Amino acid sequence: MGVNVGIDFGTSNSGVAIYQGEQIQILPIDTKNIVPEVVKTILYITRDYRTFIGQEAVELYYKQNINRQRHFVKKWTGEIDYHGADMHYVRDVYVYIDELQPGRLMQFIKTALRSEKYTGTQVFDRFYSLSDIISTYLEALKQRAEALIKDEISHVTLGRPVKFSQNPELDQKAQDTLQQAALEAGFKRVEFELEPIAAALYYERSLSKPQNVLIFDFGGGTLDLTIMRLGDPHDRRVYASGGIGIAGSDFDRAIIQNRMLSHFGKGQVQHDPEILNLINTIPDWAALPELSTPLARGALQRAIQAREAPVRLKALESLIFNDLAFSFYNMVETTKITLSTQGAAIAEMKEKDLDIWELYTRLQFEKDILEQRQQIEKVLLDTLSASGLEPAQIDAVVKTGGSSNIPVFIEMLARIFGSEKVKSSDVFNSVTAGLAIRAYQSA
Amino acid sequence: MISQDKIDEWIREVQERPASAELIIRYIANRLSELSSRADELAADNIELLSGRKVEEYENRIASLEYQLELLKRQFGGEVILPSEVPALKPMVETINLLVYNPLGQVLRLEIDPTSLVSGETLAVLNAQAPPGDTPINLLVTGSREELLFIFDSGRTVAMPVSQVPLSNKVDLDWTQAFIQEPQVKEELAAIQPIAKMTLYETCLQASRRGFVKKMKTSFLASHITENYIGSGVKVRADKTWGITFANKDDAYSLVSQEGYIFSMQVERLPVAIDEVIRLGITDHIVSAFIVGQKPSILFITQNGKAVHRDASWLEAATSFKTKGQALLSRERREGGTRIVGAAPVDDEAWGVFLHGDGAITSYQLRELISSGSIPSGKSSGVVLSFWCFTRPEATPKPNRDRSDQRS
Repeated sequence: MGVNVGIDFGTSNSGVAIYQGEQIQILPIDTKNIVPEVVKTILYITRDYRTFIGQEAVELYYKQNINRQRHFVKKWTGEIDYHGADMHYVRDVYVYIDELQPGRLMQFIKTALRSEKYTGTQVFDRFYSLSDIISTYLEALKQRAEALIKDEISHVTLGRPVKFSQNPELDQKAQDTLQQAALEAGFKRVEFELEPIAAALYYERSLSKPQNVLIFDFGGGTLDLTIMRLGDPHDRRVYASGGIGIAGSDFDRAIIQNRMLSHFGKGQVQHDPEILNLINTIPDWAALPELSTPLARGALQRAIQAREAPVRLKALESLIFNDLAFSFYNMVETTKITLSTQGAAIAEMKEKDLDIWELYTRLQFEKDILEQRQQIEKVLLDTLSASGLEPAQIDAVVKTGGSSNIPVFIEMLARIFGSEKVKSSDVFNSVTAGLAIRAYQSA
Repeated sequence: MISQDKIDEWIREVQERPASAELIIRYIANRLSELSSRADELAADNIELLSGRKVEEYENRIASLEYQLELLKRQFGGEVILPSEVPALKPMVETINLLVYNPLGQVLRLEIDPTSLVSGETLAVLNAQAPPGDTPINLLVTGSREELLFIFDSGRTVAMPVSQVPLSNKVDLDWTQAFIQEPQVKEELAAIQPIAKMTLYETCLQASRRGFVKKMKTSFLASHITENYIGSGVKVRADKTWGITFANKDDAYSLVSQEGYIFSMQVERLPVAIDEVIRLGITDHIVSAFIVGQKPSILFITQNGKAVHRDASWLEAATSFKTKGQALLSRERREGGTRIVGAAPVDDEAWGVFLHGDGAITSYQLRELISSGSIPSGKSSGVVLSFWCFTRPEATPKPNRDRSDQRS
């Protein structure tokens, strides 16, 4: 017989909590992190297949990768059969492999569950399916938690967004993959709870009388909305739920798209499709590290020698070939977070051949995410409409998740429901805590 | 880049949220201050560039960096050099170090003051018979701050600074007093290669006596050296390790055989895996390998002391591997027994050291040999056993990308 825990496997951050009927204990799962109760959903696999998560993964990645040497070798990966009407031939396929790469860093793992096409990735000589990647992360999380509580963890209640996908088949497939991963990680029983419901359970503990509550769960990967009746454990009702695959990582991408690409030559490079392709790949965090090939370097160096925006392209070369992608995305995210508390922030990064300085205001940010804001407001109103309730009938709006602190969304909620109703739950831990409550209830 | 659109957006932020104004002004002021000091630095740099002082400073820095690189190389080889032994930035008077070595790992070292070098002088006499083994006695001339790589025919290597090889008696060289870098069982010392400047080159080429070549990155070679094993470079049983040469990918690499066949090819085209690039006759073997670089001509030395001189443009680049090679000697001379003991690219400043059959080691300014066509008779016996070409070192180390020192 082991312990039951709740795990919030988030897009940006994760957490583990235990509830045994008295007090919820959020485990200090990452002692190296500024907030130890939160662990970054980052996995680093070294060349000898040792695995690291959270801040430890980030630190090791920096130590091993920034400005390191590279050596590319051309490796045969397979062949393609060409069949024509009167011909047939086989062509070999080669890829460039960096022999000196010390490890692979993986971020936004949960986002891959939403993807129809993503099946996994090659990590050195082994292929990791998506289930393998997630199970590797969950296993490390489980081991850390077991070390803290000095007991075996057998059962887990995992959070999941209201919808991984609009397509019910893909949605089910994503949950199955997550379940499979949890079982592979060593959990004997795996249960799921919707993340906003988990957040609601946590909020419910503070209620003295029943309320109609809108849970606005806005994290790194998705926005989940749930309108439910809370306060009486025997009469909980879900009026409506909805969501959209827009969240923090999409805002980061919008900032990069609108404000960062000019630092890498966008607008200056005109008729060079190879270089334009490199520039346009920058917002894609998963694809950027893959650009560091001899072909890309050759193209960049040719363009620099041809005096085609040499300073900007030198910066692009530095970003790609000095393994600065992770620092770059972090810098963008930090700028965005800063704008939640002040009207302007500096997006700044100084590295070899790279000098980004961008004064970024809240107004600019709100302009850059205008389209997403409109979509979010539409989903919010649709969900409200589906619940059959009027805004005035909502007693409280509980916001949780990192992106729920963005002022423009707080203003949106205040405008629709009234500012007095908008309440902030524990931004990072309310879902984890709610999952622990659910795990206790289902034990 | 700060565009007008961006400035308008900042102004709108201030209009909408006046509280942001102070922050925005502070950010812009800080950036202006930073850019202003950077502009000052750039303007100062520009003045120095225009006055030529910057060029001089960069030259000094290059020389200093190159020297530090040499020091690092020594430490890389596991040797700790005390700062007092080699002061970092103080110009040192470079001496010529002549090394005479054989397959048994015996090494004799002589230190020669470059300013006292006289063409035609006998530097020393080797009082001994050639040691057993089928590799002849080899010569090497190098600077006093070099790092040496001892390459054994098993592929094993040992690195050490040249200063760690004890000095020998100046007049009479005797193998019994030689420093020994002892070979292991069934092993012979194939070559000694200076490696202090290897990081200035992209590639290392390893050749075997039978004309097989493999190419590797110098960065890989560096890590192999720390493991004390670079591979034998040998593919067939009857072959043996010969030596290594450093080059850049656009250089032309040349191999010269004892019977006077020459193979030349751009480094980029050479094989990474061990491959036979020149097909030698059954009695033939490689005696020299070099990169011509900026040198205008090539000098071939025969065993009877003849100096055969050719312009660098005479070399024909091979179009494929396993070729017979470009013939230097006519059939008659080859059948008459003429053999090459060494070859090297040369210019007006080049010097050569020669080991003669009677043990005498002499030095000549090579332009004299080129004009006379042979080593003057009467100084020593007519037979030349070994030859090495070098350039007299200068007082201050300067970067030199030409391979003027060539093993033969």
